[in-house]
Amino acid sequence: MTRRQFVNDPDHVVPEALEGLVLAHPGLLRLHPDPAYVTRAKPAPGKVAVVSGGGSGHEPLHTGFVGAGMLDAAVPGAVFASPTALQVAAATTAVDTGQGVLQIVKNYTGDVLNFRIAAEIATDHGTAVDQILVDDDLASERADGEGPGRRGTAAVVVVEKLCGALAEQGADLPELVRFGRALVADARSMGIALAAGAHPGDRAPAWELADDEVELGVGIHGERGIGQRAFAPAEELTAELLGRLVAALGLDRGDGVLVVVNSLGATHGLELALVHRAVHRQLAGRGIDVARSLVGPYVTSLDMAGLSITLVRADDARVALWDAPVRTPALTW
Amino acid sequence: MNASDTRDWMRRFFAAFDREQQALTDLDRRSGDGDFGANLRFALGRARTALENTASATPGDVLDTVATAFLHTGGTSGPLFGMWFRQLAKATRAETIGVAELARGFADATATVQRLGGARPGDKTMVDAMVPASEALAGASGSLDEALDAAAAAARSGAEATADLLAKRGRASYVGEVARGVLDPGAVTVALLVEAARTR
Repeated sequence: MTRRQFVNDPDHVVPEALEGLVLAHPGLLRLHPDPAYVTRAKPAPGKVAVVSGGGSGHEPLHTGFVGAGMLDAAVPGAVFASPTALQVAAATTAVDTGQGVLQIVKNYTGDVLNFRIAAEIATDHGTAVDQILVDDDLASERADGEGPGRRGTAAVVVVEKLCGALAEQGADLPELVRFGRALVADARSMGIALAAGAHPGDRAPAWELADDEVELGVGIHGERGIGQRAFAPAEELTAELLGRLVAALGLDRGDGVLVVVNSLGATHGLELALVHRAVHRQLAGRGIDVARSLVGPYVTSLDMAGLSITLVRADDARVALWDAPVRTPALTW
Repeated sequence: MNASDTRDWMRRFFAAFDREQQALTDLDRRSGDGDFGANLRFALGRARTALENTASATPGDVLDTVATAFLHTGGTSGPLFGMWFRQLAKATRAETIGVAELARGFADATATVQRLGGARPGDKTMVDAMVPASEALAGASGSLDEALDAAAAAARSGAEATADLLAKRGRASYVGEVARGVLDPGAVTVALLVEAARTR
């Protein structure tokens, strides 16, 4: 099946989209074109700056989360490719107001390396930098602990929201790092796909699935998952993901969670809401309380049809940070 | 070795890379994802332009300019080379440098790449040529020319030896046995770089 996209030149997709995003939110965002990064229109002095970034193709991640209560800067790479070390270093030093910078990094080899180099360069320039590595994707966990470790996926939104709120309240860099690392340890996600996405300029999706199959454990870069299972009603597919997540986090009767039901790109809000109902009912059946939920396209994989479910252990402090005001293009309350 | 000698070294390296680029890309196609040649060509093009437009008083200035060009590239090999050049630059800030400064710079630069990339000798990466070159410089007792000869020979034999290795880091680690018998393009690039330092 042929895919078509709204594209001028596949090589210009990311810079043209960045311009369009910032034009849509002139009161919230500023674009620095070269090296490319996005900052808040109104810098926030007197607090630790929070910076994230990664490959493009996951919109609204990360640029859509720049603004009061969340990120101070986001650094986009090419589609599914890490930003360069100098891009990240430039953004990091640009938003430092003397309190230091917290970098939130999804666990991929390229991102980890380039953010680490950027941190060293920024440190040489006198900026205090520390990092939180987000590795929530259950499907990429290996029993022997070998390899690059679990990938970072939709839990990064929760990490950016809560750390952003905590930074806004005046927490210092060591406290943010302690809080963020504990949060990541309590977060797991898993994805499921009905159809692969296609890169800008590509006419065909990355792979094909039979009509009676779904791909289980997909990541957010169009790669295959950990295997196929039979297509089934939403209630059953939800149970497949939820059972694994609850077991991985060791959740018990009486525990509370933050939930993200996230579209991987093409899956519609109607379906997401229906799946969220299933998540709610099934967790209630296990005696687990859904403290707060986020339902929508937040960490996408181009136009992949599919969704991911994220569970994060909740406590009063985390819920209060979740409820704290936020004003960004993709998240506002 | 002064700033002008260092520029000449880099020019010889760029020319050698241009000559070998297709072969390096072919190696990467067989062991990685085939973008190695293109990523590094982009970095070298940027370095070439920057060197023409930047005045440099010391070898370290020249190497810093090259480092910045590499740190502007995506992927993992480009930034690692960038940090190698950046660390070498820190040890070569004198107007003229000799074997001692180069040896210390190579040792620091190689340690930085290992720390950031996590690769050890034998993992079939650029480190397999960097470490022997660094050790050869550290053990050199004669003239700069003799030391560079020894380092170039060590880097080349380190690169050649990657053919027999099974990759544990980098892209080639995803294809395992398929890449056995294939030279690591990063290690070969290090050999080209160190060979280009020789003036005779």
